[in-house]
Amino acid sequence: MTPTSSDSTSTPVALEARGLGHSYGPREVLGRIDFAVRRGEFVCIVGPSGVGKTTLLRCLAGLQRSTKGELLVLGERVTAPQPGVAVVFQDYSRSLMPWSSVLHNVTLPLRANGVSRSEADRRAREALTQVGLAAAVVHQYPWQLSGGMQQRVAIARALAYNPTVLLMDEPFASVDAQTRADLEDLVLRLQHSLHLTVLLVTHDIDEAVYLSDRVVALSGSPATVADIVDVPLGAERDQIETKGTHEFAAIRAEVHGLVRHAATSGSGSGSGAEA
Amino acid sequence: MTIQTEPSARADEAPDAASTPRRLGRLSWLLIQTGTVLLAGGVWWFASTLFPPSTLPPPAEVIARLGELAITGGFWVAIAITLGTFALGLAICIVVGIPLGLAIGANPIGAGSTRLLFDFLRTIPPIAILPLLLLVFGAKFEMVLVLAVSGAIWPILIQSIYAARQGEALLAEMSRSYRIPRAWYIRHIFVPGAIPFVMTGVRLGTTICLLLTVSGELLGGAPGVGFEIANAQAFYDNTRMYAYVLVAAVLGLIVNGGFWAAQRRLLRWHPSVRREQHS
Amino acid sequence: MSAVRRTGLIIALEIWLPVLLVAIWWFASESVNSVYFPSLRKIMTAFVENWLDPMSLLDNLGPSLQVILVGYGTALLVGIVAGTLLGLVTPLERAVRPIVEAARAVPGVALLPLFIVLFGIDQEMRILLVAYGAAWPVLLNTLDGVRAVEPVLLDVGRVFRVGRVRRLFRVILPSAGPQIFAGARISLAITLIIMVVAETVGASGGVGYFLMTAKSEFRISDMWSAIVALGLLGYLLNILFRIAERYVLRWHRLQQSRLGGAS
Repeated sequence: MTPTSSDSTSTPVALEARGLGHSYGPREVLGRIDFAVRRGEFVCIVGPSGVGKTTLLRCLAGLQRSTKGELLVLGERVTAPQPGVAVVFQDYSRSLMPWSSVLHNVTLPLRANGVSRSEADRRAREALTQVGLAAAVVHQYPWQLSGGMQQRVAIARALAYNPTVLLMDEPFASVDAQTRADLEDLVLRLQHSLHLTVLLVTHDIDEAVYLSDRVVALSGSPATVADIVDVPLGAERDQIETKGTHEFAAIRAEVHGLVRHAATSGSGSGSGAEA
Repeated sequence: MTIQTEPSARADEAPDAASTPRRLGRLSWLLIQTGTVLLAGGVWWFASTLFPPSTLPPPAEVIARLGELAITGGFWVAIAITLGTFALGLAICIVVGIPLGLAIGANPIGAGSTRLLFDFLRTIPPIAILPLLLLVFGAKFEMVLVLAVSGAIWPILIQSIYAARQGEALLAEMSRSYRIPRAWYIRHIFVPGAIPFVMTGVRLGTTICLLLTVSGELLGGAPGVGFEIANAQAFYDNTRMYAYVLVAAVLGLIVNGGFWAAQRRLLRWHPSVRREQHS
Repeated sequence: MSAVRRTGLIIALEIWLPVLLVAIWWFASESVNSVYFPSLRKIMTAFVENWLDPMSLLDNLGPSLQVILVGYGTALLVGIVAGTLLGLVTPLERAVRPIVEAARAVPGVALLPLFIVLFGIDQEMRILLVAYGAAWPVLLNTLDGVRAVEPVLLDVGRVFRVGRVRRLFRVILPSAGPQIFAGARISLAITLIIMVVAETVGASGGVGYFLMTAKSEFRISDMWSAIVALGLLGYLLNILFRIAERYVLRWHRLQQSRLGGAS
């Protein structure tokens, strides 16, 4: 019934947190975090805002050193951004370069890492097609596109980078509900067809359950892993059907309980930790 | 005209803004604007009848004199010298001020060490050193050039220091996570992100550079349009003086127009320019 | 304890370069024997004589301060009023745009001979020239600021039936405030330039007059003392300006620091 859990022993681990902790000065944001994500898995980290999800993701991305514990990505200790890891940021309007065309936005990381112009161009166009952007937008500026299309560009930038691991920080928080559903399905499809390992951070429980093979619920202040919930909903998911099933409702209720507990015990001031 | 304060995030909103009904067409506005210019000319003409003709000559006389001057070589030489000094001065300020400012601004120790010093130096009215420059260089083009540079460099330098700290932090993160090397980051992300702020300094520098070029010529007696204005006044030839003041105004317009054209090209992507194209 | 140390470090960081440069100037000018670059010691002596003695201070600085206060004050008033008017009445702004563009493009100093012909060589001429030249940056920035007022704020004002006058003073002008101050800062710099230039003609006192007379009489140390005095004057005026700005734009500073802190 649950193919992911039966595979779990044989599939290698893509990223792992061991006793990870982080403090900003005297303020401890992350307590002891332990979890592992296997190759080809889709894992969501869910928790109320201010709980330190973004800090965790930044540590995984190598953008920030954790103050305690260690992180392994693709078998290596993370001290700096790793090759094979791509990040999609929440704020597409700020993470895309407004002065460059869509194509140049996607090719820059490739060209900067030594890929030839023609190869970078080919990969960028392929990635843009994969995320469903027409060839016509290639030479437009990102700000000429809608929010959803801009986030597609950001996803294409990550795909063209040929990542093994894709880290996503609240990637759909700034788009409208319909676009959000479309983008969720897009990412699910890409994850399957490209065999990506995806770690996505979100505060939206429905989204986390809908997308994940497993959900890591964070709680408390400093945050620790409240529980890791398996999501045995199969590989094929549908916005209406899947969300209508009893299993979905049951898992959602379970995660909700974990997170609600976190919300009542967590501190209210979130600006510092999440920024 | 509608003023869009928020750059529209969605492409499909743009046509809405562009199609806001305008009550008057472009041509009607051109006619109205011509009318106001003519009206201003009329006011000038009317004022000239109140003053003795030597004090305030009527516009037609000044224009006629301008025509006479325009066929002399000296007229064009004066313009060429003023524009040349201005352009060279501004170029020096840009070539020195922008890289230096960005480098200082990107380095906290550099920014801290120079803050007090630059803060003091930029508030000194540049014209204060004119007598010194006159003694050292004499009434020559070099004197005017140094004067113009010593005044116009500050807004460019200081705005560039500021600009270096205004880059989008998220883009710096993006660049790190995609392991973009430093040189690429500077060329493709840091510098383009700083340009809008740098341009503010360049705009100020442009105004001050022209002001000081003309001031140096007018006060210091170095050749150029400023000198021609002072010279005409010294000979009580007020018509000629007004003609050269008009020339100075036209130079100002050309310089301003040049700046806006450059800004439009460089900042096509920037919200301020996008908005302008919509309204 | 560590806060005190940090403040000390910041002060040390900001001050080492200026101190070093002044020291270099002091020793270099002492050893180099150039007519145009007297020793810093001599300049300081001349400065004390010309700019710290109350009587000479009145002669040398009094007229300049009058030009600055009245001229700059007029420029601010005219610039803000005209800028607001043009910003609110868009058709008017569009109709007079060519004239505004032409008038502001003239380098203010170029009009000195013209103002002499029209208004003579007295203090009024200088005040008028400063007022004219310094009004443009304020006017243009006010115009931009007024037009960029958040439309939602204007709608809020209308919905709650806030009167026109109150809307102007409570919504439009405060919201344009940062822009207006940016313009006023440029105007201040231009005021000082035009003041010095205008004082070289027909004046019998003032910094510009002193500067040019010292130069033509070859009193080099005096001339240098005037350069120092102008530098200090510019610096002090800027500090005053900053205090005013801090006071008037409290909300803006707080908002900016909050935005800065959050990102």
